[in-house]
Amino acid sequence: MKHTPAIDQSLAELQVLSAAAHREIESVLPQIAPHGEADTLHWLAACRALLGFEREAGLAFIRGSREAEQVSEEVLPWTGQALAFMQWRASWRALEGFMANVAGAYGALGHAGEKRWAELGFAWCVRQIESGAAYFTTPVIDLAGRQGGITAIEQLLAPAEELYESRKLMLGTCLGGAIRVRNLLGAQAILPWASRGADILQTGRTRGEAYFRLESEESLSMLLEHLPGYRLTDRNRLLGMLLDVWFGGEFDLRESTWSPEKGRPFIETDGRTIYFPAVMADREEAILALLHTAGHMRARTFDRAGMEEMFLEAGLDFPKAGAVSWAPLFLRYGEDALRFQLIFDICEDLRVDAAVQCSVPNYLRRLARAARALGVRHAETAPYFDLALESIEIAAAGRADPRFASLLEPGASVADAWRAAVKLYSGSDLPAVTDLEAFHLAYLPGRSPNAMRMAHPQETDDQSQQQQPGTDQQSQQGEEGGEETEAPKNAESGEQGEDGEKQEVPSYGDSSGQAARASGKSEQEGPNHGSSDKGIPYPEWDYRESRYKRNWSWVQEKRLAESNMTETNRLMSQYALALKRLKKAIQAQKPTRAAPLTQQLDGDDMDLNAVVAYVAEKRAGRSPRPTIYKRREIRQREVAVTLLADMSTSIMQHLPEGGGRLVDRIRAGVLLFAESMEEVGDAYSIAGFCSKYRDNVSYYNLKNFNEAMSDDIRAQIGGMSGRLATRMGAAIRHATASFEGVESRRRLLLLLSDGRPEDYDDGGDRRYLHEDTRMAVKEAVAKGVHPFCVTVDTMANQYLPQIFGPGHYLVLDHINSLPNKLPEIYLRLRR
Amino acid sequence: MKTAAARQRGVEHDIVQAPQVGEAPPYYQPQGNEVAIFEAAYKRRLPVMLKGPTGCGKTRFLEYMAFQLKRPLVTVSCHEDLTSSDLVGRFLLEGSETVWQDGPLTRAVKAGAICYLDEIVEARTDSTVVIHSLTDHRRKLAIEKKGVEIDAHEDFMLVISYNPGYQTVLKDLKPSTKQRFIAINFDFPSEEVERKVLVNEVPGTKPEIAQQLVAIGRKARLLKDHGLEESTSTRALVYAASMIAAGLDPVSACQVAMVNPITDDLELADALMEIVNAHFA
Repeated sequence: MKHTPAIDQSLAELQVLSAAAHREIESVLPQIAPHGEADTLHWLAACRALLGFEREAGLAFIRGSREAEQVSEEVLPWTGQALAFMQWRASWRALEGFMANVAGAYGALGHAGEKRWAELGFAWCVRQIESGAAYFTTPVIDLAGRQGGITAIEQLLAPAEELYESRKLMLGTCLGGAIRVRNLLGAQAILPWASRGADILQTGRTRGEAYFRLESEESLSMLLEHLPGYRLTDRNRLLGMLLDVWFGGEFDLRESTWSPEKGRPFIETDGRTIYFPAVMADREEAILALLHTAGHMRARTFDRAGMEEMFLEAGLDFPKAGAVSWAPLFLRYGEDALRFQLIFDICEDLRVDAAVQCSVPNYLRRLARAARALGVRHAETAPYFDLALESIEIAAAGRADPRFASLLEPGASVADAWRAAVKLYSGSDLPAVTDLEAFHLAYLPGRSPNAMRMAHPQETDDQSQQQQPGTDQQSQQGEEGGEETEAPKNAESGEQGEDGEKQEVPSYGDSSGQAARASGKSEQEGPNHGSSDKGIPYPEWDYRESRYKRNWSWVQEKRLAESNMTETNRLMSQYALALKRLKKAIQAQKPTRAAPLTQQLDGDDMDLNAVVAYVAEKRAGRSPRPTIYKRREIRQREVAVTLLADMSTSIMQHLPEGGGRLVDRIRAGVLLFAESMEEVGDAYSIAGFCSKYRDNVSYYNLKNFNEAMSDDIRAQIGGMSGRLATRMGAAIRHATASFEGVESRRRLLLLLSDGRPEDYDDGGDRRYLHEDTRMAVKEAVAKGVHPFCVTVDTMANQYLPQIFGPGHYLVLDHINSLPNKLPEIYLRLRR
Repeated sequence: MKTAAARQRGVEHDIVQAPQVGEAPPYYQPQGNEVAIFEAAYKRRLPVMLKGPTGCGKTRFLEYMAFQLKRPLVTVSCHEDLTSSDLVGRFLLEGSETVWQDGPLTRAVKAGAICYLDEIVEARTDSTVVIHSLTDHRRKLAIEKKGVEIDAHEDFMLVISYNPGYQTVLKDLKPSTKQRFIAINFDFPSEEVERKVLVNEVPGTKPEIAQQLVAIGRKARLLKDHGLEESTSTRALVYAASMIAAGLDPVSACQVAMVNPITDDLELADALMEIVNAHFA
């Protein structure tokens, strides 16, 4: 190609400078040359300058020029921008990024937009060159996001600029995360997210960086908190209630580790537990998903016999024990695995949904309606979605269809679904599926890939009674009390095939059951204590022999060694408002409490009714007692109450909905109770109990009836913690005994519990301590003490009615409400 | 309600009033053998205690039995300030004279009526003691103030109702009082009975609406242990059916009759509405 002499000369000089660069220039030059000699010379000069400035930067400039020219159809502007990088040291990475993306900037933003894009970047190069590099190396498409345009980029950077000014937060630190936050939550979410990050960064570099990479727990929870959609984490109680209503209780519900990065949120199950994501698109989908997933468990998708048959059908061995992976079933189909998996899920889900329809009226119609309302469908897998929808409509209308007929039979099993899927697969022309996102979008709202987790085959009823899940893993954890029994916070598995073991982590739902059954020690083997401090003996009821065992359980009355005033103060300030409200409510009730005593012999006021009656009777010729006065006076203390708190290990568990442990709520509840009682003026005492074997029942006296409330007692409440097991009967007997010497006519024993009565030496026979507790309650009633149990165990309605009698217990399924509820319950009871 | 249909409305009438000839019987759908038990108890004039949750038909049952036995029914709703003189009677001043006025219990004892003490646990203990002598073989009412005793009319019968709920833990009846009664346990009727009740109570209720309402009630009662103090009663179902019959759409009718009244807990209401919506989807 012919060049002007000036250009030739310039080229020659470049060749001397670097042969490699010269070759690159030669190849790009034909595109630059048409813009005229002046522009070309300018460009060549820039090449030389940049090569001289930094070799890498120059080469990047030359290579990027081709595309930059192609898109922008000009040379000078971006050449000038590239030259601007020379004002900063070590700017080659930024320039490299600039040259890689400048073409994209022209394409996506136009000429004016590109200019602004470069300016924004330069501003950051001035502040910190790494931030500039981070900015320029990020593809423009990513910066602009879905919304696109230069305004989106400005919105993205504005928070960073603000935080740079105020907190010296660098764009390089937060850009990647900010883009993801923007994409998930919108631009308005960046500022709160980043300023929180800036705080964290100040406390520690690694912690802060992890936050900004969205890798730390705190940033994830911050994200989940702000994620739009229906928040299942807050609806834990509703979900539980719905399961109870439609399927009859006994489901283990847990939050999964889902995060927005993992794609579409699903509710899943492994046959034992239902895992729900923090957020789902909307309420309708969440509820459908919950019902569908529970349907899987009720319609026996995880039935051992059914799964075994299915594996046999597929020519595979079925593991005798442990969790089962679905993977081998689908791997047989090689490349077509996803495709077959979808077809199988359509069949199996249809079978399950038809079964759900039997329990939940109009379920299929609702599902079909939600599916039709869903606008987005992935082009690749739309046929699957439509087929699933069609199958639902067929089932809802009760039409006969040979493809699905076998699935709608009442006794169909997962193996029938497998057979139907194989048949459907062999004759189907459904498209191949490769993309995971497309795969996810093939599911109707509420449905989810069934093979996401390792399956835990469930035994049929008669087998399951011998084997209770989680029993074996219950070691003697927490025997020595204190805080070490941290329940696994997220006892939950990752994706399938990755960790069979992690799933075997005992659930904290089970841990409330106390390690009693597994302790393996019989009563005889129990430790022998010296007889001197054996405490006070109480009888225990043995239902097997229908008799009392004399001096069987030994209660030691103790003072709580731990006290924690800081915790108390924290709780006091946290619940200050609630306490204020409670006290107000109590005061409002007081006038009726301290009601004027009517029909008194003396007093400050006439009791009009009594006067009339008196006069009338007098006239009738009788001599009535002159009780015609009324007196305002606080009535004699009528009620005495003992609050007896279960202090077993299980109260140390973390709350499933997060926000601390059960014990925090119990401390708060006890504290609020005590403070309200001070306001009410009734006699009260507070105690806690725990046990280890029959001869070691600890009864912690936090406050006696005749003791005045003090900071010492408050601090002890703050120091309450969980240890050991729950021998309820002995504790009730002791509490009943301590009512002796209390004058009040009405005596209430308010028991605060979180699980069933259990101890290490009950030999796995739950009934033993149940029956004993029941007897203890009866004894208490006979002695004029009314036991009333407040529990946070949602399963409690299975055993409490037998122990305390209907109406003598209350299940609080909303643990957070415990602190406020406890005083309210008392006030109700004493009415 | 039908009982009163034949009577004149808006005028006073005496509390002791036997069912009149030609009056339509109150509607009651027996759930089990309670009618036979009550008849037997009446034959032997034994006092009866009706136990069961609010709104399951205790009062209606008694109205029905009183009608069947052709006895007047005297109902006293007990409250915490109810004293024994409120039941037995008191002296009143009239001009310059004093007049003794019988209380409802005394009148029932004299007239041979069925006396129904509703929610007896609410009453003060002194009033529960006056009934003791009436409930055993003595069948006597002592009027202390007048210094007299009345042998009960041979047709007199005492019935009390008692709802073992958690608000009354401390107000339980004394065992000595309890054991003087024949106790009939009431619960919400079976689905079939409840459907019949709805159709009969609210004329014009379509069978499928009745069926759906009953199914909703059944499911709603499962939530009792989740913080409901009283579960959805048959009465609430009747109200819902009435609202539907009056032209309200079923979902709103259920909301105003069965959800809003029994809970202020938003989540609980949400769960209840979920049940309603599922049935009327």
